[in-house]
Amino acid sequence: MSVVDPSRQAGALYWPVQLRRNVGVRGLFAVVMAFLVAYGFLFPGLLTASGFAKFTQSWFPLALVAMAQAILMLTGGISLAIGAMVSLGAVIAATTMTGPLGVAGGAAAVTLTGVGIGAATGFIVVKLRLPAIVVTLAGSFIIGGAALLILPRPGGAIPEWLSDLLAGNTPAAFVLLVLIVLLWKLYLATPLGLSLYAAGENPVGAYRSGVPVDGARIAAYAISGLLCTGAGLFVAAQTGSGDPVIGTAFTLNSIAAAVLGGIGFLGGQGTMRGALAGSLLLSLMISVMFFLGFTPVAQYVAQGLIIIGAVAIPQFRKVQQ
Amino acid sequence: MARAPLLAAREVSKSFFGNPVLRDVSIALQPGRVHALLGENGAGKSTLINLLSGALRPDGGAIEVDGRPVSRMTPACAQQAGIAVVQQELSLTASLSIAENIGLGAYPRRFGLLDYPELAVRARAACDLVGLHEPLSMPVGHLSLGRRQMVEIAKALYRRPRVLILDEPTSSLSATETKVLTELLETLRGEGIAILYISHRLNEVMALCQHVTILKDGTCTADRSLEGTDAAGLVRLMVGRDPGDLFPHWQPSASAANAISVRNFSAGLMRDVDLDIRTGEVLGIGGLVGQGQEDLLLGLYGAMAARTASATVNGASGLPSGVPKANALGLAYVPADRKREGLHLIHSIITNMMLPAFARLPALKLRSRHAERETARGLAAQLGIKGDLDRPAQALSGGNQQKVALAKWMPHDPLVLLLNDPTRGVDVETKREIYMMLRNFAATGKAVVLLSSDTPELVHLCDRVAVVREGRIVAMLERGALSEEAIVSAAMGAEQRKVAA
Repeated sequence: MSVVDPSRQAGALYWPVQLRRNVGVRGLFAVVMAFLVAYGFLFPGLLTASGFAKFTQSWFPLALVAMAQAILMLTGGISLAIGAMVSLGAVIAATTMTGPLGVAGGAAAVTLTGVGIGAATGFIVVKLRLPAIVVTLAGSFIIGGAALLILPRPGGAIPEWLSDLLAGNTPAAFVLLVLIVLLWKLYLATPLGLSLYAAGENPVGAYRSGVPVDGARIAAYAISGLLCTGAGLFVAAQTGSGDPVIGTAFTLNSIAAAVLGGIGFLGGQGTMRGALAGSLLLSLMISVMFFLGFTPVAQYVAQGLIIIGAVAIPQFRKVQQ
Repeated sequence: MARAPLLAAREVSKSFFGNPVLRDVSIALQPGRVHALLGENGAGKSTLINLLSGALRPDGGAIEVDGRPVSRMTPACAQQAGIAVVQQELSLTASLSIAENIGLGAYPRRFGLLDYPELAVRARAACDLVGLHEPLSMPVGHLSLGRRQMVEIAKALYRRPRVLILDEPTSSLSATETKVLTELLETLRGEGIAILYISHRLNEVMALCQHVTILKDGTCTADRSLEGTDAAGLVRLMVGRDPGDLFPHWQPSASAANAISVRNFSAGLMRDVDLDIRTGEVLGIGGLVGQGQEDLLLGLYGAMAARTASATVNGASGLPSGVPKANALGLAYVPADRKREGLHLIHSIITNMMLPAFARLPALKLRSRHAERETARGLAAQLGIKGDLDRPAQALSGGNQQKVALAKWMPHDPLVLLLNDPTRGVDVETKREIYMMLRNFAATGKAVVLLSSDTPELVHLCDRVAVVREGRIVAMLERGALSEEAIVSAAMGAEQRKVAA
């Protein structure tokens, strides 16, 4: 039966699987590269250490929320509470880190809040079988309100050394992002992580195959919540203080980035590398248009047209087949 | 029979929305035996499988593993007991690779991570058993339906089952793949595995199985050895009577006039078909599933893009450009999937019946509830739909749902009725009523086009049968030449071929 030497086969599954996942995002990668080159021409400072640091810092929070949204969309869900979660993370960081809890305690509080609220949202959506869009819309009011209760107006503080470390002249943001991507790869190599795809695309089939569908989906919500409050902590470090509405724009931008990255609304379609590339593209688009002197209004219009175009092109290709 | 069966159901019952689907059914799967489960569509076979595999829980009765009752059977629990199911609807994830799909829910782990090398070895072994030689890293979405079915079977084998349940595994397989599967099942049986085999192909069942359980309308009509039975006997047990009794007496009512006439008609899978549909006839459309029959109906109905060299529909030239136009020309279509296309299940029966009428009313005219109720009552009486008409349509049994799907067109007095498998999943009594209606309809000078996967229906009810294969009408059988053998051999493309049933 096994004529082929098993040890030779051994290495020959993981990497081919990974390579095949690139197939759908090749075009996107090319577009991102083109934008990077354009950006490099417009802003040669990108290639210096400080220019690179600033660029990755402006991209980092968007990358995190794009991942947070993509995980949920892979399970067939969606979140409208991303922005509120980012705000909550920011105000918790700004109110705790200079207090008695210290930086470590503050970071722990941010982490627990993210995981806890995420898991609770997931529990409501999955176990009570309520539509994710409604639950997270209601959640955005509750969470946003909680952020305003903690810090009614911008204030609080982040220790200066932490701000310098994360948002100063260091590549810390880039290193963190690499670390998060590696952790994601690790998660996807666990049975629970990989089950995400099956639970999103074919929940009935996955359930019948013995996959803990509910568990996989609730775990996804918890991870998503953690990424959001983490992004909030970073934003607070960037600005040096907390702002209870700073995250608002991230909700729709996270959806835009995920959609640009080829994540489908029906669940189980798309890859995290695509979502990350989508967030990078969105971030680059905003920067390039800024350097080209687009007015903010024109930027919004152009952004919207590009997103519709990005979603429509694969659809046209499918119709033609 | 001294040994306890590996898996058994004892007098299990199950209802959906108050409709009993299974009543006190028992089945026992013994090691080293291929057990056939037969029954018409809607007899409760899939529900029984879902109970045995823990996907559903019985309302009454018990599931036993190795002779011991299991109180809360779940899919995970079934998997532990060594029960693997090859579902009819595939349980695969298109974006995952073949290997990842095969191992899904039972991945080998190392340090909590998925052990890819081990998965590769075990998935390859399972694939080799079913003759699947595609690279293991290929996403399942790139495979054809038949190959996906083989992945599904490999997925079951990967779990090293003691009990293997196969729900119509051969319906999408090629002849070669079917042969591989048949040989594989023989081997597995020799290894002492209990196999439950569901198929509509009686010759396969006769060749492969040793024991048979037959379900009819949710009850068990036979549980016996296959030795000494013949295909005709099995059919009688499935149908519960001689097939002939089901059908109304046939009388010619066709005229020479054409209701619909098309030349070089193409739509979807259908290519360059010439067809004349006469007023006053029941024209059957037969053939294996998915050869383009549905596209033919949808194309005529204007619900799908179609091209013709010339077409006449009830005196107007040209095909209808859309559904409202088709309705105006006197065409009505009853879809096969009544749950998704034919009815709006959560809405009341009366709303469902009135739906085509809403399309005809001026958009801003006030509705007359009283008149609607009168019409609906009349329809319900005419078609024998009993009970409160304000109940949601999902409260009805399959047969009565189908009657509502038919009834909604009756006030419009359609000249041509296009029916897509109207008796699928319908109980025998309702079938009789529907057949009677269709014949009466033809007798009043209208045309009925009956697309059916049920061959006896085509033979006994139709004036002519067009057999479709690979998008073409390969045979037009007149009443005198109609027989199940003729239809099946035309459908399979074999002139002389012995077919069971």
